[in-house]
Amino acid sequence: MTQILIQGFLLSGLYALIAVGFTLIFSVGRVLNLAYGAYIMMGGYAYFYAVHIWHLPKTLGFLSAVVVGAIAGILMYRLLVKRLEGDQVAVEISTLILAVIIQAGIVLLFNDSSKILLPIVNGVWHVGSTTITKNMVMAMIASWIILGGLLAFVKFTHLGRAIQAVSMDPKGALISGIRTDRINLTTWAISGALGAVAGVFFATHTQLNPSMWVSPLIIAVAVVIVGGIGSIIGSLIVAHIIGFMEIITSTLIGAELRGIFTMLLIIIVLVVRPQGLFGRGDL
Amino acid sequence: MAILEIENLYAYYGMAESLHGVSMKLEEGEIVGVIGPNGAGKSTLMDSIMGLVKTTGSIKLEGREITGLDSSELVNAGVGYAPERAHLFPYMSVRDNLLVGAYTARNDIEKNLELVHSLFPVLRERRSQETATQSGGERQMVSLGRALMTSPRILLVDEPTIGLAPKICAGIADALVRLNKETGLTILIAEQNVNFAMQLASHIHVLETGSVAVSGPTEELKSDPELAKAYFGH
Repeated sequence: MTQILIQGFLLSGLYALIAVGFTLIFSVGRVLNLAYGAYIMMGGYAYFYAVHIWHLPKTLGFLSAVVVGAIAGILMYRLLVKRLEGDQVAVEISTLILAVIIQAGIVLLFNDSSKILLPIVNGVWHVGSTTITKNMVMAMIASWIILGGLLAFVKFTHLGRAIQAVSMDPKGALISGIRTDRINLTTWAISGALGAVAGVFFATHTQLNPSMWVSPLIIAVAVVIVGGIGSIIGSLIVAHIIGFMEIITSTLIGAELRGIFTMLLIIIVLVVRPQGLFGRGDL
Repeated sequence: MAILEIENLYAYYGMAESLHGVSMKLEEGEIVGVIGPNGAGKSTLMDSIMGLVKTTGSIKLEGREITGLDSSELVNAGVGYAPERAHLFPYMSVRDNLLVGAYTARNDIEKNLELVHSLFPVLRERRSQETATQSGGERQMVSLGRALMTSPRILLVDEPTIGLAPKICAGIADALVRLNKETGLTILIAEQNVNFAMQLASHIHVLETGSVAVSGPTEELKSDPELAKAYFGH
């Protein structure tokens, strides 16, 4: 029981961090960015390159992940999403294709073998019979700090309120003097950076390989669909539902089934409550 | 010098032309009404001034040509807009809605909040309420308030009374008159509700299928029996 609780919170913290950047784009741009998993992968590889190959300090490793993620977000918005404006299916198909292209690019650059990313903090703690890595604890704490910061940013700054405004009523935002295009661009940059940072933690939790973008993408999609549009808190709660479901499944039934219930949950919510558990109708 | 001068304005939605050569002038400190039936082009005219619609012709604000500016530049230049159906941010509080209006006028927040609260004291009480849960009248107040938070030189108000009970309409009318009297703000109101517009405006323009059919001082239009019968129903 303690084991489930501890592992559940640790994994859920990571999942919340993975999902939040994806939620942000879905709320503001109404776009399912299926290349989001690629930010996560690029973040992991950027950190790997900086820290393990160039032997830079870990902070610079994180910084390079943030820069790579933000640039990827900006380019994706400028070159793809803005040009396909309004055509959601085209955006979804092209972002998915883009993810596959990025995967090929990673294979080309780093070959397709898996790489182990060393933990950001070393060591373990023992709580009863449970072993927890300090790395996972750090990932959870980082996740809480980043999410708290994001929430405060969105609520209490002019730029954050503008992001909310664009997500709720673009015309209302325009006539308040907000350049909605610039806000979209900023949101894509933030989303890319968040994804890339999540990627560093995710990679230390699993490992680096060119197809690692798929499972975090499924988690992010699940959180958005189950949680609904527009609520950071909602995403946080759903990340915990999914995280705990996986831990309970793999502890009590078997590790092979851990992802299955997440996907079942997506389908159930799509059928029963398409606006999501915390969604706000069609807004 | 006129504060707003519109000359030979044509507006286009895609291929369709929805304003055909509209001209009008607003003097500083005036309240001017644009009346006309649904689909006459009132909202298109407002959207055109706000830079939201493709136009040809000329719009000058305080003598400066403003056609072709984007809406963010127009807000900076001093155009405030309370559009039809308000376009508020439903899951943000009243206060946050108002603060979004202050996006370009961050130095005037205190002063403008004070003005908005003095016109609509209920917004101070309801500052933490999400606008999605408010009544139509209060939403209209937030919409006007948000426009005032931009520190406008001219205020565009589109159909402020739509769907509101007469008593609430009267309250909105009082607030607009007070705003005009106390701060000297120039106001352009588009209305289907002819009586509401005539009660406030010193000049009226009647818009019909995208053109100005009749213009003049409100008193003159009222006293012309032909016009009164055709447009004002009495």
